[in-house]
Amino acid sequence: MGLRTGIRTGLIAAIVTIFLILIGVHMLMGRLLQSWFYVPAHWPGVWLMVVLLGLWAGSRAVGQMKARSWGNTLLAGASAGIIQGALVGAALYLLASITQAGVDLRAWLTQMSQESIAALTLGLAPLPAAGFIGGVLLVSAVAGAAWREWRLRVHAARLARGERTVSLRERLLEIPAVAQVSSNPLSRRVLMGVFMVLLLIAPFFLGQYWNYNLGTVGIYVILGLGLNIVVGMAGLLDLGYVAFFAVGAYTMALLTAPQPHHIQMSFWLALPIGVLLAAIAGILLGIPVLRMRGDYLAIVTLGFGEIIRILSKSDVLTGFTGGPRGVRNVGHPVLFGKDIGNEFYFFYFILIGVILAIIITRRLEHSRVGRAWRAMREDEKVAQAMGIYTLKYKLMAFAMGAAMAGFSGAIFASRNSFTGPEDFVLLVSINVLALVIVGGMGSIPGVILGAFVLKGLPEILRELEDYRVLVFGALLVVMMIVRPQGLWPASRPQLERPRPEEEALEEAPAELVEGEVGS
Amino acid sequence: MNILELHGVTKQFGGLVAVSAVDLEVPQGSIFSVIGPNGAGKTTLFNCISGFYRPEAGRIIFDGVSLVGLRPDQIAALGIARTYQNIRLFGRMTAIENILVGQHSRLKSGLAGALFRLPRTRREEQEALDKAHQLLDFVGLSGYGDMFAHNLPYGQQRRLELARALASEPRLLLLDEPAAGMNPRETEELMAFIRRIRDELHLTILLIEHDMRVVMGISDIVAVLDFGEKICEGTPQEVRCNPRVIEAYLGKGVA
Repeated sequence: MGLRTGIRTGLIAAIVTIFLILIGVHMLMGRLLQSWFYVPAHWPGVWLMVVLLGLWAGSRAVGQMKARSWGNTLLAGASAGIIQGALVGAALYLLASITQAGVDLRAWLTQMSQESIAALTLGLAPLPAAGFIGGVLLVSAVAGAAWREWRLRVHAARLARGERTVSLRERLLEIPAVAQVSSNPLSRRVLMGVFMVLLLIAPFFLGQYWNYNLGTVGIYVILGLGLNIVVGMAGLLDLGYVAFFAVGAYTMALLTAPQPHHIQMSFWLALPIGVLLAAIAGILLGIPVLRMRGDYLAIVTLGFGEIIRILSKSDVLTGFTGGPRGVRNVGHPVLFGKDIGNEFYFFYFILIGVILAIIITRRLEHSRVGRAWRAMREDEKVAQAMGIYTLKYKLMAFAMGAAMAGFSGAIFASRNSFTGPEDFVLLVSINVLALVIVGGMGSIPGVILGAFVLKGLPEILRELEDYRVLVFGALLVVMMIVRPQGLWPASRPQLERPRPEEEALEEAPAELVEGEVGS
Repeated sequence: MNILELHGVTKQFGGLVAVSAVDLEVPQGSIFSVIGPNGAGKTTLFNCISGFYRPEAGRIIFDGVSLVGLRPDQIAALGIARTYQNIRLFGRMTAIENILVGQHSRLKSGLAGALFRLPRTRREEQEALDKAHQLLDFVGLSGYGDMFAHNLPYGQQRRLELARALASEPRLLLLDEPAAGMNPRETEELMAFIRRIRDELHLTILLIEHDMRVVMGISDIVAVLDFGEKICEGTPQEVRCNPRVIEAYLGKGVA
């Protein structure tokens, strides 16, 4: 029993380990440790990864076993470690010998530099190096298995004593101060206030780079809240959302830039026009496509999104849109004769936009309109039978979502002083959709959190560079398995009023009381 | 006076005639049952009335208004509400929200009202919520109002669906096999409740059922469909003894 799970887990762990080495994640770990914790060399990080992978293999093997005993545990851990160690060792032997023979592996595996392999061989010859890494993996796998066994036993003993396992949330709520703050609306408001003040003074301390990045996160929050109306509330899968972002951006750009039209309108006038045009574009695109459902709607909107981008860079329209080179010198907002077009002011400007978008979403969510949207998402036919004119409400959702996208697009273009076709690639639509899903569909805090995780975190993890997309993809897959409802899912509205029993009986009209008795 | 009249309503799907030249006259305030074996065209008839199918021929008149060609939402707004054979609630909305959606066509506030929290909208929402509480009480779901509809037990989902239909203050209520999946005792209770709805809320009920016994006790008039055709109509007593009905239900030769 222990042997079989051990071998299987060892195989999986070996594949994962070899893969991570081939794409150079061990070097990345080394560099991260070096730069974050001031470790003098990169080898501690490299070998930390190796040990962690060994621990994981042993622990996983025990976790998969049904019949557990210390003997079985050792067997599983050792077999997993031997398999993992042998295969990884063999791989390292191969890599090291090939490199030693003077072949540069980087022709095929861009991360497989001499340095990268040397970090694993530690200057030994291929064979002893392979033996060393195999041994390290074996020891860590056994240790991991023992550790897991011990944890499981502690856990079982706790259960036997009748102690319940508590989630982190419950544990936090056990702290009196936390419980008080979370239950008291006033202290919640104070907390919100403190948070707002922090946000308001943040740009004074953060500097250009972070102000700019936080602004980008804010733009994506607005985009996310807009798409949340379309996808999260109304249930219309729109993959061409970037089209409305583009309409907003190009409206701002073409109306305020000196080229190609020489209109040079004020930012403040161009902004509402951009929002309005985006909303109109939403309705115009909506009329033909909204008769479709689900997958078909997704494909058609995807096409429309691409059409807008391709049109914007087509030769025919170069005179109108500036073509592939885009539009430069987009106008900045000017307030009291002062150009406020830098990151610092835009931070506040975007913050106001975010707050507006939150207020709009909140007010719509629990209104007659929002309920109609959500009813449509749940069951379109029944929604119709309840008197909801679905076509009208779909167009409304499209227009609202598009207006928000138009707003953020207009700000985006003005902040960058530039806009061009490459700002509106499909990836933008996908990113916004991903942040809505990762955050939690239909949930406002979820969308904000999603924007921070998907647009903010990559900036913080600058060191990850080439691996950002990999980490991002892995994160999405893990999210969908572990927490499909999103990081911060929408909460149920609490609408039912508790009825004090006696009072209700006294005050209720006579016929209602009779009715109750009768039923 | 008849609140609903069907004249020669025919609905075909390709070569299959699902409903064939059916005439019905539903008197105001009655409980009118349409029965028939599975596949007799009962639900198709409902879908014609509520606007999801457009009949190829015939007229459907509700309180003097022709329904053919109107959209389902327009028909709902005229005062026709329905339930479904297989319960179709808005699963990820709470019970109260389901009832609020049911009131959709009775409410007026739109985008502007919601965005600016106009006093009119707030008053309307308050009243809608009051009414939702009353309906929750009426169907015996107090205390379940904030639960997601898909988390409610089966019987309570049925009652919630009724409350949602009643929320639109219909004059005509279409019930599609409301007793499906219920045991005899529950069915009896439900039928008593349906009668109570009719009496207290003064509406007309058009009921579909394939189990003949269920409707005998409460129906004023029973019409029998078989292979899309109306084969007889009358009081429960008359229908029960009709040889064609017995034949449709039990097969040839039994009568």
